Amino acid sequence: MTIALSKGRMQEQSLELFARAGIRVSLDETNSRKLLISSDDGDYNFVFVKPGDVPTYVEYGTADAGICGRDVLLESGADVHEPLDLQLGRCRIAVAGRREVLGEDYNLLATVRVATKYPKIATSYFHEKGVPIEVIPLSGSVELAALIGLSDRIVDLVESGRTLRENGLEVIDVITESTARLIVNRASFHLKMAQVSRMIEALTRVLS
Amino acid sequence: MSSLTKIPSGVQYFFDDEVRRRRYVEETALGVFKGWSFDEIILPMFDYQDLFSRGMGVDKADRTYRFVDRDGSLLALRPELTSLVARTVATRFRRKPRPVRLCYSGEVFRYDEPTQRAAREFHQIGLEHIGEPGIIADLEVVLIAAEVLTTLGLSGFRIALSHVNFFHGIADHLGFAAAERSMLRELIDRRNILNLDQYLSLRAPQIDPEQRNRFCQLIRLAGKAESLDLARQIFANPQSLGAIDHLTRLHKAIGELELAESFTIDLGEAADLDYYTGLTFRIYVPDLGSAIGGGGRYDNLIGNFGDPEPAVGFSLSLDGLAAALALQLPFHPQQAVESAEIVEQNELLSQCFRRARDLRKLKRKVKIGAQQQA
Repeated sequence: MTIALSKGRMQEQSLELFARAGIRVSLDETNSRKLLISSDDGDYNFVFVKPGDVPTYVEYGTADAGICGRDVLLESGADVHEPLDLQLGRCRIAVAGRREVLGEDYNLLATVRVATKYPKIATSYFHEKGVPIEVIPLSGSVELAALIGLSDRIVDLVESGRTLRENGLEVIDVITESTARLIVNRASFHLKMAQVSRMIEALTRVLS
Repeated sequence: MSSLTKIPSGVQYFFDDEVRRRRYVEETALGVFKGWSFDEIILPMFDYQDLFSRGMGVDKADRTYRFVDRDGSLLALRPELTSLVARTVATRFRRKPRPVRLCYSGEVFRYDEPTQRAAREFHQIGLEHIGEPGIIADLEVVLIAAEVLTTLGLSGFRIALSHVNFFHGIADHLGFAAAERSMLRELIDRRNILNLDQYLSLRAPQIDPEQRNRFCQLIRLAGKAESLDLARQIFANPQSLGAIDHLTRLHKAIGELELAESFTIDLGEAADLDYYTGLTFRIYVPDLGSAIGGGGRYDNLIGNFGDPEPAVGFSLSLDGLAAALALQLPFHPQQAVESAEIVEQNELLSQCFRRARDLRKLKRKVKIGAQQQA
């Protein structure tokens, strides 16, 4: 079984979760700079990729399973199974904007300019409300866009909301909650049924 | 940009080994189909858009490549072949005895927006078994699908069986309307157990939490015969039980034919619920991330083109089969290139070609040698 994990913040939490489920990786391996490491029993290979790439690896079946945030999964539109909520990395995907332009009199029929790292999520949210949207795709410091007038709104991850507040922005609406999900490739689900079941059951025991 | 340096997204060029592999796959599959008395049908590359809308539904037919005929009517490149077969059977074959067994091989063209994958042109090989309801025809087509994979030399494949009435029975049992059914379908299809559990407790609070929990367990994992036993105990209703009985009988026969290894039961399969009316199945091959084929029973389709009659069929992706073969058997003997006898050129133009013609009469492969440099 090959499992794709997000590099960075989620990497340690994910490995720790697997360790609690009895799938351990030695410290030597964890501390190495290798991009592909194996569990001690040799049954699992872990690959570390950028968070946004996890759904891609799993959808194509290069990895049988993976862990990624629901935000990333929604944005990718990947056609995969998502059997478990791992309760990690809880945050919200929210629409935010400057206090001054929060009023209800905001013309919802005019095109709203939205800066975001999540063009798909933002577009489908505004379209469901019947509001035309012009997406400004950014790759970081999204708050700045609303602050200095590049956009009317931003759609971004919000954990505590502190960054927003300190920059004079406010959450207008929460689009969805996001936590880390276990995702599984559709073909691996059938072809490696026994291993997939064992992994899901082991993780389920840890979570409950 | 110049058309010499740019290639339209999703089109494909094949040569060398790739062509030999694809021809081998195609000939093998059609050979198996013919062995089961299926006659090949060659279908038009395009037809009226309306025909495909009738066949596969307006939503799916939306993904066709369309163009306008000289008289102004809307045409589409074929996005699938079943609608074309269905129309032919309902009209030209109306007086022929049933069942009608037809097979096909050909390219289809689809603009698939939701996927990340680029392909727009697919080669499908498949068959339709029309005019016979019931388990015998179902078993026949499932076994033919397995035989194609085995004959090609592929190993480790899985055919996951399901039945749409398992889902419909449960949705009816829960009293779900269209919007709720579509949400339920989506959650089941993605095996999103957490949200499924929450959704059921919200929308169907009357059901026993124990039952709900068992249902979630069932959806979470595919299985063998034991998942059918588990399924019997959940949300018991005549429609779902009928589906489970059908699958149980199929699975038993498959076991008696020593094929159980290649089959799984997956009651969480919930795609194409509007199209299929009974058995459904999907085919998976190791190291390819998505199904390489699938099919099922669609008793409502032919009625869109004439008198209603039962039908069951499947299609395989030639692209998927060729990719699987390249991975599993890169040096398959059937794809080897026969070596040619070199016929040297000489002064007298006719001499070398007389020699070549004599060899060709003996069915030998010849190659005219390169011109000798003076």
